[in-house]
Amino acid sequence: MGTDVNKPFQGEVGRPVPQLEAQEKVCGSAQFIADLYRPNMLYGAVLQSPHAHARILKYDLSQALAIAGVRAIVTGDDLQENWRMGAFIKDEHALAKGKVRYVGEAIAAVAADTEAIARKAAAAIIVTYQELPAALSPEEALLSDAAIIHEAAREYVKVFDTGTKANLCSRTSFREGDIDQGWRDSDRVFEARYQTQAQAHVSLEPCGALAEMDANGRVTLWSANQSVFRVQANVSESLGMPMSRLRCLTPRIGAGFGNKMEPHIQPITVLLAMKAKRPVKLILSREQDFEMVRARHPFNIRVKTGVKCDGTLIAREVEALLDCGAFGDDSPGVLGYALLMSCGPYRFPHAYCHGRLAYTNKMRFGAFRGFGVPQMTFAIETQLDEIADALNLDPIEFRLKNLKREGDRWLGGQTIASNGLAECLDKVRKASGWNGARRRSDDAESRRAFGVACSAHISGLLSTGAIIRLLEDGTVLLNTGSVDIGQGSNTILSQICAEALRIPLDRVGIASPDTDGSPYNWGTTASRVTYMTGTSVVGAAAEVERKIKDHAAEILECAPADLELIPGGLVAIKGIPHRHVSFAAISGRAHWAAGGPIIGSHSWVFDQKTVDPKRASVTGLPFSQIGAFVFNATVVDVEIDETTGKCRVNRAWSACDVGRAINPQMVEGQIEGAFVQGLGYALFEEIVWNGAQIANPTLMDYKIPTFVEAPSELYSIIVESNDPTGPYGAKSVGEIGINSVAAAITNAVNTGLGVRLRRLPLTPERVLQAMIGPEQNQETALSK
Amino acid sequence: MTSSPALFHPRNLSEALDLLATTADARPLSGGASLVAMMNAGLVAPAALVSLTRIPELCGIRVSAAGDIAIGAATRHNEIAGDGRLSGTAAVLADAAAQIAGTAVRNMGTIGGAMAHADPALDFPSALVAVEATVEIASSAGRRLVPIREFFVDWYTTVLAPSEIVAAVHIHKPKHGVGIYLKHARVAGDFAIVSVAVTLARDGEVHVAIGGCGPSPLASAEADRILSSDLSRSASSRAGDLLAALANPVDDVRGTAKYRKVLIPRMLARALHDAVAASRSAA
Amino acid sequence: MSERATIVLNVNGAAFDTSAVAYDTLLTVIRDQLFLTGTKRGCNQGVCGACTVLSDSRPVRSCLSLALDCEDKRIDTIEGLCDHPLMQALQRSFIAGGAFQCGFCTPGMLVAAFALLMNNRRPSEADIRRTLSGNLCRCTGYKKIIEAVLGAAHALQDGDRRE
Repeated sequence: MGTDVNKPFQGEVGRPVPQLEAQEKVCGSAQFIADLYRPNMLYGAVLQSPHAHARILKYDLSQALAIAGVRAIVTGDDLQENWRMGAFIKDEHALAKGKVRYVGEAIAAVAADTEAIARKAAAAIIVTYQELPAALSPEEALLSDAAIIHEAAREYVKVFDTGTKANLCSRTSFREGDIDQGWRDSDRVFEARYQTQAQAHVSLEPCGALAEMDANGRVTLWSANQSVFRVQANVSESLGMPMSRLRCLTPRIGAGFGNKMEPHIQPITVLLAMKAKRPVKLILSREQDFEMVRARHPFNIRVKTGVKCDGTLIAREVEALLDCGAFGDDSPGVLGYALLMSCGPYRFPHAYCHGRLAYTNKMRFGAFRGFGVPQMTFAIETQLDEIADALNLDPIEFRLKNLKREGDRWLGGQTIASNGLAECLDKVRKASGWNGARRRSDDAESRRAFGVACSAHISGLLSTGAIIRLLEDGTVLLNTGSVDIGQGSNTILSQICAEALRIPLDRVGIASPDTDGSPYNWGTTASRVTYMTGTSVVGAAAEVERKIKDHAAEILECAPADLELIPGGLVAIKGIPHRHVSFAAISGRAHWAAGGPIIGSHSWVFDQKTVDPKRASVTGLPFSQIGAFVFNATVVDVEIDETTGKCRVNRAWSACDVGRAINPQMVEGQIEGAFVQGLGYALFEEIVWNGAQIANPTLMDYKIPTFVEAPSELYSIIVESNDPTGPYGAKSVGEIGINSVAAAITNAVNTGLGVRLRRLPLTPERVLQAMIGPEQNQETALSK
Repeated sequence: MTSSPALFHPRNLSEALDLLATTADARPLSGGASLVAMMNAGLVAPAALVSLTRIPELCGIRVSAAGDIAIGAATRHNEIAGDGRLSGTAAVLADAAAQIAGTAVRNMGTIGGAMAHADPALDFPSALVAVEATVEIASSAGRRLVPIREFFVDWYTTVLAPSEIVAAVHIHKPKHGVGIYLKHARVAGDFAIVSVAVTLARDGEVHVAIGGCGPSPLASAEADRILSSDLSRSASSRAGDLLAALANPVDDVRGTAKYRKVLIPRMLARALHDAVAASRSAA
Repeated sequence: MSERATIVLNVNGAAFDTSAVAYDTLLTVIRDQLFLTGTKRGCNQGVCGACTVLSDSRPVRSCLSLALDCEDKRIDTIEGLCDHPLMQALQRSFIAGGAFQCGFCTPGMLVAAFALLMNNRRPSEADIRRTLSGNLCRCTGYKKIIEAVLGAAHALQDGDRRE
């Protein structure tokens, strides 16, 4: 891709520079969506459905409209039936239309002079429903007599072969080798079922949007988002509006983790602004953020593994059943991706991995850091430990023996270009003292044990671009469509740009993502920005460099091939640095004399095929090209309280192969943050339903880790495998740090207690029950 | 201020009590930690609020010459947590106060407000039972004293009549010994799943109260008797089983009723163990 | 309950005329009327800590404080504390240490850390964890925040020693 990965960094790449937005964030002047105000602005509020499944018969807006200060009300009647959006299946309206499909779904919205008036008016809207039977689990939804949640599913636009039928939203299947032969070749076979829970993102910033329509009918929309382009597409599709009439912009974003990747209340806010003919700002309450947006999919997984007595893995079968919730959203992608990762980073000659996704009358499930892999890893990595235990093998040795290596092919057939997993495992083994450690110990008050797990992820998917403009004074403006959600991508991309052009970081300006001016970027998701957009930045910089050299060649009277960039925004004849010309001089020439303003651009789609049909037989895969592989190994030292069953992670070591660390401090920040989010997922976070209603949609009742629960010692270990396809060898770090956490903690608890826990979260109650009583709902291993 | 303010700032207690008696749908506002949270959630919308936190009589901890302690109802949790005069068996109150929520909420919430809210998962109720506190209730009609065991009636329900407030909590001169509040929660600052408040006097007298296991704190004179004469593991076990049998917890997102019952004897054993260790190191 | 009252709030050392009804929180008034938007609304229930301000130098939840009940208090928000050397030491340490990512929890976190250091110039790591446990962060995993607070405390101690 044009970068020499072995060249030592000479500029900004590899430096732990603080994020570009640091000063405003510590002073409180960073402007998030709730901090924006427009003249004449109104405030929005949403009315939510009290029913899980019901036809909407009638709206009575009279009482609401009579409240002083109410300026506009919108309902499904303001939408056309065919205005539907959705990432894989276009099955969702901006507001419930015709029927409601989950408790909490948005059915109407009000714009008023104050937020309090808007909320009061929303509560005064009277809706008449005809209740329908609801399906609250995938199993229920797939019964032949289940009420159909999407009656018009046949007509929905679908971007791949989903196999949609009744409440079956999609299905996916991978086959490699000959699975029946695989069982025959195995000495022992292990099989069990695993269950994981719904997890809430709990970004500190709730979702919000601010929309304004001008006199020409063009709409400007600010929102908390992970992709201005997904916002644009979703709003346009759900409001029947051409994309060219909608401009989507980005304030500072208070994190997303996937919650803000697809739409929340942006379409509703635009609809209100258009009806009220005034700007409208709508910010969700924390409760609504829990109830209305999306969450991590609960998984039900059956895993079967065949192995030789010497520990060689032979065959893997996975069957997964996913709860889609009421709308497709990213769910087909989560199913397909989780299955793609369901053999883990190991060599299996034979595999059959398949699954189904069922609509239910619950809040939609969608993208959440890891995208199905934390769930799958929990199942497959705890089973691997069970196997290691049965075969009397060290868990780390067992994994090392079966690891895929660089050049191997992933399930489906994609070649792994760089693979640092063996190094990751080695490093966590050494750092934790695994080999010498008493990996299980008891005292009067607690038991302690170590656990290990590995996982993989990808960086990539779909398309992106970058534009670099040389400004008149020789400084540079970088414009990518990539949204910085707090992870530091603005800084990383600026570092890459500065490195490529050999200029100091403070000579790079970066534009805010704006659908009017930014090149398309699918989104900040799939750990893709450093790898995909970084590659485009390198590509755009290369074009700028070419053009700069063309000018310099004329000025210095030599051939462009004789020139090189030297630090400080200069082009010089190779070997004769005093014969140079500055970017500023060249830009002046370009602007005023010859050639025109210097612009470099690059755009691409990740283009390595996921499936080689000669190798694997795959149906219903929602993506055909995915990304470069990244890897993790995690060891944890867990303490289990004998009195209560409460578990604490005292120490943790997480090694991630990120390709190359563009900004090591930010890489550590991602590893550490992902670990603690995974800790909450492992030990106590769970969205609980009371029938059809979420029982704990508040921070009083849904708990995330605090300072006290974070490990006393948390070590992030950066492994660099220098991917030949990534910018300066970089791949990603956004998600890989969460995937192994729950599995590693469960392996530790299982070791400490001598049990096999197969359900998340490991609440104190479940752990205590395992400690003092017989296990329930556990399928025994089948052995040969 | 306009002529009819919606939030009253009475300068003394009798003015406050008169306002509560005569203003329609008026509620007392103490720290706001519970009431404002409920208002923000749209769960309550009082017509008027009577602010109590600036009334000197209601604020602060006073110790009489005889050593009896009176805690004003508007005393903040952080003040209770940090007051060294809550020593000996009374330390259980300071220990409980220190584990409520987080720093900022402890700077705001008051003991009177917490008691009036009567959420059984709160930390003060069981600690107050363990020290056998007496509640002083005030209204425009006068004062009355209620033993703590009678104050909490049911879920979110106390004996407070409309227009009555908690004025103070009274504790007899604390005995030499220790007081420990053991709290089991999912994360720091959460409500308790189960809590155990224990006082262990130097003369061996023990009082135990369990929180989070029913509509009001759970205590048993028989359990206290067993432990006051015998702190062996079997005595602790008997007392724990007795308390578990009396407990009437419910399922909630923090844990099931069954788990809570199982926890009672285990946590009691642990709390007694910690109390004995503390009294040894104090000696 | 919807009668609007005019009150004078003392915020960051200056007096401001504001108006409020009884259910308006201090958070709503300082954000929507004074446009001091550094203080954030994360939950409106007093749990997340993003709304933390100082009231008479003590950290409180502005989302649980009624504006009409704050007239006699001195309120300090992140914006006002930016001039204080202790806050500046914390900000420098947070920036250098990468102690924030999205930044939404950061103002509340800094105000809470400021109050911690004002009361205790030599906090242990356990002190920091316990005292700041009421401020939630979803991005960082807390490690770099703890290190940044310790770093600021050390820098201040060094500064004190030099004086």
